[in-house]
Amino acid sequence: MIHLIDELKVIPGVIGASIVSFREGLKVANFPSIFKPERLSVVGKHLLKLYSAGRMSFDDLSDLTLNFDESVVVARELEKGMLLFAICDPTFNQNLLTMSLNLLHEEYKLGNFSDVTIPADVTPGVKSVEPSIPIEQKISASLQDLLLAMKEALSKILGPMAGFIFDEAVEEWLELGPPDFVRIEALIELINQEIAETDKVDSYRQLISPVLKDFQKG
Amino acid sequence: MATAVDFVERVNQIDGVAGCLLVNSDGTLLGKTLDNPEVYSTLLQVTSGLSGEIMSNVGFSYCRYISFNRFNMQNFYVFPIDKFLLGVVQQADCSVSAMLERVYQLIGKVSTSEAGNIS
Repeated sequence: MIHLIDELKVIPGVIGASIVSFREGLKVANFPSIFKPERLSVVGKHLLKLYSAGRMSFDDLSDLTLNFDESVVVARELEKGMLLFAICDPTFNQNLLTMSLNLLHEEYKLGNFSDVTIPADVTPGVKSVEPSIPIEQKISASLQDLLLAMKEALSKILGPMAGFIFDEAVEEWLELGPPDFVRIEALIELINQEIAETDKVDSYRQLISPVLKDFQKG
Repeated sequence: MATAVDFVERVNQIDGVAGCLLVNSDGTLLGKTLDNPEVYSTLLQVTSGLSGEIMSNVGFSYCRYISFNRFNMQNFYVFPIDKFLLGVVQQADCSVSAMLERVYQLIGKVSTSEAGNIS
């Protein structure tokens, strides 16, 4: 996969590129060391959210471009939850980068870049990616139904970004312990931190209270 | 003093602009020339928040605009203007760089001292 982004870096004006997975974080990067992997991972996840929001409005969304004073960020979703982004000098050749992204995206879809290779000397501090069990296999069917109801309730509070925020909270919740109803308050607390506003936290609690009670009753 | 509606109409007259809308930071629609502003107003707010997060994480200082590039070439641009957000839909067959330059020039000429008023 590193070959994918190394091909982009040779384009004049491209400072570096990275591939980020919503669930696994930073997969590969070839930025100068001043760009910390932790920051790149956060940026990638924000770009994924932005891409998802854009997709809700535009079915034919291809790329995102964020033009800052110092640099331009270009992002392309490779597959759902997997995004490639490059940071470029403002004078970069956008047409050339777009064409390269199109070609590399086609190769990615053909499976030519499905391997995960993270050279330690290029991205110090980036963890290797371990094969993960899909969340659906970790969680019981009844708990999945509860989570779905909680996710739907969150959409009434936070709108279109609720899905991403909820999935992110569940991911973090699963990292902290087993997917068990006895830990559901820990998940709610993570979601509350994302909601942030007290009145909305209270509204969310009111919305999910009935489904929590139903679950407990069995 | 021009109102937000006047500003939106001036943006709309720029060659290459298919339509536009202006919202307050809280999402309140201040002016529009698009038929379906609700499609864009939420996206404007989400975009503003996330681009701000990206900017602070990487250490950039100012976001000029964000572009949602579409295969049909009717790209959607988001311009943060102080506490306002301007959304612009591009015509498919236009000089993008010229259109963006003219929008940016117009933005540079306005001040945003009062909500809803752009002078």
